[in-house]
Amino acid sequence: MSHLSVTPRRLAAAAVVLAITGGAAACGPEDSGAKAAGGKPAKGGTLYVLNQSPQEDFDPARLYTSGGGNVPGLVFRTLTTRNRENGADGSKVVPDLATDTGTPNKDATVWTYHLKDGLKYEDGSAITTADIKYGIERSFAAELSGGAPYLRDWLTGGKEYQGPYKDKGGLASIETPDAKTIVFHLNKPEGDFPLLATQTSFAPVPKAKDTGTKYENHPVSSGPYKVVANENDGEHLVLERNTHWDAKTDEERKAYPDRIDVRSGLDAAVINQRLSSGSGKDAAAVTTDTNLTAAELAKITGDKELAGRVGTGHFGYTDYISFNPKVKPFDDPKVRQAISYAVDRSTVVNALGGSSLAEPATTFLPAQESFGYTPYDAFPAGKSGDAAKAKELLKEAGYPKGLTVTLTHDSSGGDEQGPEVATALQDALKKAGITVKLEGLESSAYSEKIHGVKTEPGFFLAGWGADWPSGGPFLAPIFDGRQIVQDGYNFNNAQLDDPAVNKEIDEINKLTDLKAAAVRWGALDKKIGEQALTVPLVHPVYKRLYGKDVKNVVISDWTGVLDVAQVSVK
Amino acid sequence: MTLLTRFALRRLLAALLVLLVLSIAVYALFYVLPGDPARLACGPKCTADQVAQVRTQLGLDDPALAQYAHFLHGLFAGTDISTGVGTEHCGAPCLGFSYQNGEQVTSLLAQRLPATASLSLGAMALWLVIGVGTGVLSALRHGGITERLLTAVTLAGNAVPVFIIGILLMLLFVSVLGWLPFPSYVPLTEDPEQWAWNLVLPWLSLAILESAKYARLTRSSMLDTLSEDHVRTFRAYGVRERSVIGRHALRGALPPVIALTALDLGTMFGGAVLTESLFGIPGLGKSLVDSVRTEDLPVVVGLVLVTGFFVVLANAVADVLYAVADRRVVLA
Amino acid sequence: MTTSDVLAAPGAASDTPEAAPGARQLWRRLRAQRAALAGVAVIVLLVLVALAAPLLAALEGQDPDAYHASAVDSALGGVPVGSFGGVSADHWLGVEPGTGRDLFARLVYGARISLGIGLAATVVQVVLGVAVGLAAGLGNRFLDNLLSRTTDVMLALPTLVFAIALLAIVPAGFPRPVLLVLVLGLLGWGGTSRIVRAQTLSLKSLDYVAAARLGGAGRWRIARRELLPSLAAPVVTYSALLVPSNIASEAGLSFLGIGVKPPTPSWGQMLSSATTWYQADPTYVLLPAGLIFVTVLAFTALGDGVRTALDPRAGTRLRAVARGRKGARP
Repeated sequence: MSHLSVTPRRLAAAAVVLAITGGAAACGPEDSGAKAAGGKPAKGGTLYVLNQSPQEDFDPARLYTSGGGNVPGLVFRTLTTRNRENGADGSKVVPDLATDTGTPNKDATVWTYHLKDGLKYEDGSAITTADIKYGIERSFAAELSGGAPYLRDWLTGGKEYQGPYKDKGGLASIETPDAKTIVFHLNKPEGDFPLLATQTSFAPVPKAKDTGTKYENHPVSSGPYKVVANENDGEHLVLERNTHWDAKTDEERKAYPDRIDVRSGLDAAVINQRLSSGSGKDAAAVTTDTNLTAAELAKITGDKELAGRVGTGHFGYTDYISFNPKVKPFDDPKVRQAISYAVDRSTVVNALGGSSLAEPATTFLPAQESFGYTPYDAFPAGKSGDAAKAKELLKEAGYPKGLTVTLTHDSSGGDEQGPEVATALQDALKKAGITVKLEGLESSAYSEKIHGVKTEPGFFLAGWGADWPSGGPFLAPIFDGRQIVQDGYNFNNAQLDDPAVNKEIDEINKLTDLKAAAVRWGALDKKIGEQALTVPLVHPVYKRLYGKDVKNVVISDWTGVLDVAQVSVK
Repeated sequence: MTLLTRFALRRLLAALLVLLVLSIAVYALFYVLPGDPARLACGPKCTADQVAQVRTQLGLDDPALAQYAHFLHGLFAGTDISTGVGTEHCGAPCLGFSYQNGEQVTSLLAQRLPATASLSLGAMALWLVIGVGTGVLSALRHGGITERLLTAVTLAGNAVPVFIIGILLMLLFVSVLGWLPFPSYVPLTEDPEQWAWNLVLPWLSLAILESAKYARLTRSSMLDTLSEDHVRTFRAYGVRERSVIGRHALRGALPPVIALTALDLGTMFGGAVLTESLFGIPGLGKSLVDSVRTEDLPVVVGLVLVTGFFVVLANAVADVLYAVADRRVVLA
Repeated sequence: MTTSDVLAAPGAASDTPEAAPGARQLWRRLRAQRAALAGVAVIVLLVLVALAAPLLAALEGQDPDAYHASAVDSALGGVPVGSFGGVSADHWLGVEPGTGRDLFARLVYGARISLGIGLAATVVQVVLGVAVGLAAGLGNRFLDNLLSRTTDVMLALPTLVFAIALLAIVPAGFPRPVLLVLVLGLLGWGGTSRIVRAQTLSLKSLDYVAAARLGGAGRWRIARRELLPSLAAPVVTYSALLVPSNIASEAGLSFLGIGVKPPTPSWGQMLSSATTWYQADPTYVLLPAGLIFVTVLAFTALGDGVRTALDPRAGTRLRAVARGRKGARP
């Protein structure tokens, strides 16, 4: 889709995170793969990756990833990167090319980085900060659209800059006083800048080797692997060891296999079937985009050997009901509260594959410390809904005989915003005297409708995941009044413009102590939650199979996905 | 022979005419009638600018006839097409541009053809072997239980949806017996053995019921031929029975079988929608369902036209084949 | 009145029509065929079930759309609790995995969709087919040519592909069952039209029609008074064969996820969600699959019986059938 830059950027935020890390499956600390597979990981062999979606974009400027992506992270090193550890430790940001995660000035508007010694590209030449600056500048070029929008919003002068092909002068807000130092000037305080610096737009690109839109066929590697083949626009990728990569400069990537073969265009059911039978080369295979479905899980759970090869992950994501208070009767908080009480989360969980694939949610923030998770349940619905309380509220709101509302949802089956969840809610609300009519729309029509300020329905299903594990990118796009987009994709569905909320968001963004910021995000989430603008439903859990010979499975809470850089097949 | 040639020419010409009418109907239905075809063609994610660009590309501001002429021109002579970021040449037969995939419809469909061909041709081979074989055997043992059985299975085969058979076969061979792998399409060029192994179930699903139809047809055509005068004469002159069956009766029975095969193959090439969807075979039929889901209109229109093409062509070929075998048709 | 000839290869001559048998005679002939009789029995049962769906569900004490979280094992991905897909005194045929919705209630309600759409689409096809066929048969040469060629095109088109494509361009707000009936109806009238035209042409030359014409009766009056009654037999025969193919088409479209919208239960849609469960919960697959199978087979047996009863000489000309009828085959 990025061929055309058809996709509005914000849409990409939600969609791509889902596509790339999204279906994420990572393994909680409780069944870390290293233990499951047994034996010490060792170098050598070929790792096979079986995927559904081809890696159509392999240009660091065009990739939209969380934490640098999974396969892209093998080739592109960035200033910082995610900590490649299991569970909550994995949601920390750590240095990659840089010596630390960045030095801010007092109000977090200027960030300075220094490069490590001995960093080289696949051809042996040295990596410089000028190359990182050039890489970032490329991501502003219209020809190379698709990347994340943040730099454009945050960097001073980013709004006007047209990229290095049109604007030879470059971006003045990025300074490179010497080959090892780089300084970023932002137009507002952003304590989350080190987390942003994990994205592939922060990967170095040597200007002399830049071939524009063709660069993705053979990007110059700074990571442990280089691209030796890219067939059919990313349908088949072959990566081999980059001999100029020095493990001493890279504490994060283990890079055990000699060769990585990424095959895509496969059916989800086929991928899981191949991983479970694991014959031949499939024994050394993993997937970076395919979850187990409920039915497959039901089959696998009965088989000890197979069950031992399932990795479980928690990617920070929330599925929820969204209200538009500009549409009657949802302007009445009592109606919204009544629905919050009437919701039956146990049937929603079952509709999404049962308790091993979804956990009931009462907070908007995912249940992870890095986001600032603060438990609360503003409208306790219990395990299966409080119809009596809901009826009471409806009566107070002037609907003693109940009311009829329309719930808009995605019509594609199996989707988290799909008909399964919609009909589950329909049934639960019926008990509270609320008749729900369903409006199921084809995926893109649905997402266009719910994200247009003018077309937005009053009552619909939605989901949100953040581009990095922090409260900021989770709450700000949804509840910051200044992020209401009048003409284009709007994610502030409640169209909330509360000065107190806006001010608190600005205040937290100034904090460079991420732990302190997380606490404040959690408090803000609780405060907004009381307004019943959304009804959090579930946080999904991701489960994925990996092959028999796969060792050292690491699944962080950042991506929720098995990390291909850590896996060993010997 | 001239009579036959003329018939063939006439029939193919008629087929061409039908195709032309079909293309007009389809074009009108999908591009002229809907509210904003540019928005539909571009897909729901397009911005207003891109929609405007598509509108110009499709020539939607021109009168309907000019639009259609432009479309036909692309079909036969190729055209230049604006892709949103630039312009590229779309060679004949140009079926338009899928803005959602960023690719020309013709090349998208071409990528899907091998899978559909693998499915159709393999299934055909299977139902011909099973069907004709059974038909010949049952013709030699005239009457009785075989005939009734064949009639019953043929009736079922004509009506019962293929996905029911497919699911039941899958339940049996994959789940219960574990003899076959869960079908996953492997291109022939990649691994011929895996290709065949993975297609066994889809082939069987299509062929099982279909072959009964062929058995019945072979049987009745053979019985017809066997009762014809010249065959009786051969017998009377003492030509050996095996020779009578093999050289004369079977030869006489084959034309309707071949004609029916052409028809069935045409339909199947146009998209074995259900079979491909059930078994996840990335062919034309699955592509249709996928593009309908994503509302990728240019691909839908392209597929409908290609399907129509295969079917109409198959009909014409079947008629000609039939005529070759049975001259009376031409004379009528 | 031999429908098979009319359907058959170009140039096949039509026989002289004979008087159509009355309803009583038809029934007597049908009764002689065991398969058709069994078909009738199954169909009567299915129609009763469809009509009494709310009653049957109430008898069981279940609602087709009600979720039962306790009937499935949440930790196991939502497989039904208990054997054979959760069969129990409460849930006679078990429950749907994941949701716990009652399968018996959903299946009996699903019968309404299958039969309703299948029969309604047939009515549309027959009405359209008779109208077009009559117009072609009675109209002037130009009209006849135009309509006949259109009919050829309609017959050649694979129904399923076009139905899928048409469903794509109709706005989501349009009531889905009506849309399905219309789409199937609009695509499937070709066979009836061809039969009616041929029949009309051969009737037109007959004495009593000619007499009526000489008597000053207008074309349409002739159509109404003289032709329609004689067309009844071939049309009934053919439409009896259309019903199962329409039911199969509806099941196919629902199976592909473009049939009726949830939560409306439909067999095809149940089957498509069941395919992912074929290993973990085979009962869930077998129920809708078996029902579609039996229903389609019953209607086919009846259709075949009707044909035999109305036209005992008709040997099946498969080539003709293959061209005239297109179910959800590929």
